[in-house]
Amino acid sequence: MLLIPCPFCREDRSEEEFSCAGEAHIARPEKPAELSDHEWGDYLFMRTNPRGPHRELWVHTAGCRRYFNVLRDTVSYEVLVVYEVGQPPPDPPGGDES
Amino acid sequence: MSDGPGVVMRESGARGWWNLRGDGDEPRFRDGVAAVVGVSPPIEPCTWHAAGDRRAYWLGPDEWLLTAEHGTEFESPLRGALHGRCSIVDVSGAQILVNLSGAQAGEVLRKSSPYDFHPRRFPPGRCVQTNFAKATALVAANADASFDVVFRRSYADYLRGWIADAGREYGFLRGSLGTDHPTRRQRQPAQDDD
Amino acid sequence: MHGFAGDTLASALLANGVSRVATSFKYGRPRGVVGHGAEEPNAIVQLGQGGASVPNLRATQVELYDGLDARPCSRSKAQRLAGTFGRFMPAGFYYKTFMGAPQRWTAGVARPTALWTASEHVLRRATGLGRVPAGNDPDTYDRFNRHCDVLVVGAGPAGLAAALEAARSGARILIADEQAELGGSLLDGSYSLGGEHASKWVADAVAELASSADVDLLPRSTVAGYYDHNFLTIVERRTDHLGLVAANGTRQRLHRVRAGQVVLATGAIERPLVFANNDRPGVMMASSVSSYLNRYAVAVGDELLLFTANDHAYRTALDWQRAGLAVAAVVDCREAPEGGLVDAVRGAGTRVITGHAVTEASGRRRVTGAMIAPLGPGADSLTAAPQHIACDVIACSGGWSPTLHLSSQTGTRPRWHESAVAFLPGDLGKRALCAGAVAGARSLRDCLEQGALAGATAASRAGFGSGRTTFTAPETDEPSQAPSRALFLVPHPKPVSRAPKQFVDFQLDVTAADIELAAREGYTSVEHVKRYTALGFGTDQGKLGNVNGVAILARTLDQDIATTGTTMFRPAYTPVTFGAIAGRDVGEFHDPERHTPMHAWHASHGAMWEDVGRWKRPWYYPRPGETMQDAVNRECLAARDAVAVLDASTLGKTDIQGTDAAEFLDRVYTIGFRKLAVGRCRYGLMLREDGTIFDDGVTARLAENRYLMHTTTGNAEAVFAWLERWHQTEWPELDVYLTSVTDHWATTALVGPESRAVLARVCDDIDLSRDAFRFMDVREGHVAGIAARVFRISFSGELSFEVNVCAQHGRQVWDAIVEAGGEFGITPYGTEAMHVLRAEKGFIIVGQDSDTTTTPHDAGMDWVVRRNKPFGFLGDRSLDVSDHRREDRLQLVGLATTDEDTVLPEGGQLVDKPEAEAPVPMAGHVTSSYHSARLGRSIALAMVKSGTTRLGDTLHCPLADGRTVSAKIVSPVFYDPDGERQNV
Repeated sequence: MLLIPCPFCREDRSEEEFSCAGEAHIARPEKPAELSDHEWGDYLFMRTNPRGPHRELWVHTAGCRRYFNVLRDTVSYEVLVVYEVGQPPPDPPGGDES
Repeated sequence: MSDGPGVVMRESGARGWWNLRGDGDEPRFRDGVAAVVGVSPPIEPCTWHAAGDRRAYWLGPDEWLLTAEHGTEFESPLRGALHGRCSIVDVSGAQILVNLSGAQAGEVLRKSSPYDFHPRRFPPGRCVQTNFAKATALVAANADASFDVVFRRSYADYLRGWIADAGREYGFLRGSLGTDHPTRRQRQPAQDDD
Repeated sequence: MHGFAGDTLASALLANGVSRVATSFKYGRPRGVVGHGAEEPNAIVQLGQGGASVPNLRATQVELYDGLDARPCSRSKAQRLAGTFGRFMPAGFYYKTFMGAPQRWTAGVARPTALWTASEHVLRRATGLGRVPAGNDPDTYDRFNRHCDVLVVGAGPAGLAAALEAARSGARILIADEQAELGGSLLDGSYSLGGEHASKWVADAVAELASSADVDLLPRSTVAGYYDHNFLTIVERRTDHLGLVAANGTRQRLHRVRAGQVVLATGAIERPLVFANNDRPGVMMASSVSSYLNRYAVAVGDELLLFTANDHAYRTALDWQRAGLAVAAVVDCREAPEGGLVDAVRGAGTRVITGHAVTEASGRRRVTGAMIAPLGPGADSLTAAPQHIACDVIACSGGWSPTLHLSSQTGTRPRWHESAVAFLPGDLGKRALCAGAVAGARSLRDCLEQGALAGATAASRAGFGSGRTTFTAPETDEPSQAPSRALFLVPHPKPVSRAPKQFVDFQLDVTAADIELAAREGYTSVEHVKRYTALGFGTDQGKLGNVNGVAILARTLDQDIATTGTTMFRPAYTPVTFGAIAGRDVGEFHDPERHTPMHAWHASHGAMWEDVGRWKRPWYYPRPGETMQDAVNRECLAARDAVAVLDASTLGKTDIQGTDAAEFLDRVYTIGFRKLAVGRCRYGLMLREDGTIFDDGVTARLAENRYLMHTTTGNAEAVFAWLERWHQTEWPELDVYLTSVTDHWATTALVGPESRAVLARVCDDIDLSRDAFRFMDVREGHVAGIAARVFRISFSGELSFEVNVCAQHGRQVWDAIVEAGGEFGITPYGTEAMHVLRAEKGFIIVGQDSDTTTTPHDAGMDWVVRRNKPFGFLGDRSLDVSDHRREDRLQLVGLATTDEDTVLPEGGQLVDKPEAEAPVPMAGHVTSSYHSARLGRSIALAMVKSGTTRLGDTLHCPLADGRTVSAKIVSPVFYDPDGERQNV
């Protein structure tokens, strides 16, 4: 069970208070009508699913109800960084970043 | 061990409750709220402010839960006092408040929620929204070492039963609070500003 | 039988001379107690009868109480079954017989054969590992959430030292131990600390901890699982030692612990030696023989033979002698053992035979002697013929295996250490430490010092203290110890495959020959060998057999143990009862019921309930003598002909405020809200981004910048989260705030031609006339003296008013309306009548008539889609993808059965030609189906391929009983197609 630091409550909270809403930074296309079916399908369905650091969107469902982004390692399950929606994604740490 | 009940649950009568949204970093917003409610919305996450029976609980970075004695009218005075992005919604019907006191009140919380209610982490003045049994609740730490638990009305029958069950092994007593008061001690209601 | 306070079931059985406690599951061999703790593989018992019965308990951990009723988990009938053909069952027998032999793995997937299916129930019983309790468990279990700075697992010398040191820093400490008393191995041996018996030191340590603020001691508590981010589960047995059913309180408590730091001081488990017939009752672990003697005053026999590969086990010979009992010999596989303990044993006049091993135990029902022979240099041959020595106990010690199960559960691979002759925990990172025997410590002094250092380090990492220890270890009386010898399989004069059985895993009867056979058949991965032979698959998870099994495999494959590696251990460390996992989430707390303010009224008026999400909604209100159909017919006709009342409080409601509220609604609904006048309502359809229907409902404009959205009951929370997600992540610039008001409002829907007249009796400040309060208007006023918001909306097609008041007054207003409607024959109706009424009108229920593939066009709802909005709306683009434009998609239609009295089954499949050869092409399926009292016939809604172009065609629905029901495709609107009745 993960321990997730909520950037709004500014506390570590237990995973059961949160829900994961999938991969982060899937921006809705500005002009959907101009996309081909294939391009639109990529936006709808295609995700990266990496082994290692992964940018995820989480929501503090039972707490402050705010969405935020989490950089989480899908191998070690370490939560590497949490950051607010709208902030640029941090680079996956190559070395021993904290 | 004393012979008295280890856990006492007292349920508040009808009160006024409002959900408030707005920009807490904006002094005019905070002052406007304070002028009407008598309490400023806390900026520090997971804390609550009180003046008499009026309270403002932090729910999120731009969201608060206000409460006052039954019959208080905040909605239109707040609309008059606040400008710009904000929202004020009467949610009086949605909230049930119970006060948990007694030496083992904290044990009932520990049976119900994954949050750390140790006094070091959760001193008076803190409040937290968290899982509570299979529902959710807002839990606030009071100065008298009791806790206020606020939950949605539709879950009230379930949660009253859950709390009574959790408290049974410590000796459980159920009572009621005064109609207008979220804590045991009856206090003089603060003056309305409207 | 009788025992003493403090006895375990195992010590009491041994004291009463019971040497055979089980019959082995595959070969039907007699088995005795081997160990004295969690590792015990044989003495597995089931306590009690009926619902209170508990299977799979280790007799070594069951505290004795008056009236204890136990039987072996293995059962004689099953044993005989397996015993008769046991000797024909080699390793992989089950696998080959029932899953197909490995050679047949052509497709890469093993499929159960027909024989497996037929025999499964027999073999499941034959596996003999406990019986499912019959009936409900009468006991109470609960869960408890805990937080601490440092969790110490294990209260032996290392754990106690760690807890003492960490507690002195002021950190919050939790120390858990599976035994009834804290002290760990110090309870079993004859150790001295500081010149006194070690129990004095334990008592002092426990007293100091118990008196420290913020230190919690949990005896009788097994740390069962170690999960991510230092989340651990502990099963505390609170009343198990008092009897099977707790008089009051909680029998077991599952502690869900979030620890800042974890100190694993879980100790080590002594390793058996593998020789022929090493499963005979009387062959035991050396430390267990000592434990029964020192702690329980039980001599497990008369004449002891000690077989060891290390110095430590010499303590058992000394203990045995000290008790005045005879030691036949000490057989040490090392050539020249030396050290204080060896000297002490020799000094006491005991015969020490070095360079030898026990090759075979003699005796059938219990040990009567041992065959011993000199070992060759590689420990893989004997250099002389075995000789017999008489004895009735063979105490064994192959060394010590660290109890690394919890560390392994974190995903850390154990590492083989040649010098320690053991797997040690891998790197545990920055949140956990190991101390004591689990970390490879071999002396008591090392355990204490490692524990203290780990305690100080853990506290310091958690923010308490400097990390330096203040601990001074008390004096110990330990002589130095010489290295132990690695001996995993004692050679026998016959080859392994022909020698008497040399057991590696007692619980599942896995022998050295089985492992060699598996290797010969091509299994080289330890994980595959585990699954092929069942090594370590028992409820003991191979606590005794794992290392020997790995070593035998390594030798067979001619590789080293480090390369072979070990299998991983998974939660739980010992079996956990389902009761502890369920906690109080049983009975009334299993699934929370949400109640509306009018719930008690419904209950007292005989409502039958339907679960909708977590809500309890009245389904129908039968009168005495009425069937469900009678009641639903009556309720429907009341709504159509007079007046009826429905509790609609459960609908999801969201208050939407802000200058961009209209823009926001435009983006999330298929229809526009910008031009909706204040005081008016509009029906909207919400789509997922893939263009399928997500939700629907009526939204009202309450003010210029304020709307109230209704969502379906079951979808309310999902819709609210969906809206917040789009606002927070994609459109934060929009000035809009969303607040859930579902619980705030109590909603009484007043339905039927007389509803206006009824409402007029309790509302005098809203003009209810047809033109002043039009269909799809919302008004504010008072109903029964309570401030109310009244919507003229309809889900039935009838004249209808939905009265919303603050839930605090919900019951009061409901009562007033019901009373006012008395003279009109007002009739409460439930969700079933509601469904019939809406189906008569062809209104869909999202999730019933639609599924996650249904587009608005499929549902015939293009009328609610506006494709020309500036921003578009969620799902807009997907309506144009080629698949959604296919003409043969499933489309919503009505069905009128040829026989008007036959109601189609919901979910029934529809075909064009029922007599066609299978597989019959499917034309669609029934989504809603009812008897309509108003129309006097059966009606149904269905999704049918190209349905909207097939009006008038006849389809057929084959039923399970062989009948086929035919029905004509019709318009889904069965009643009042022009919508006149709601506009009166």
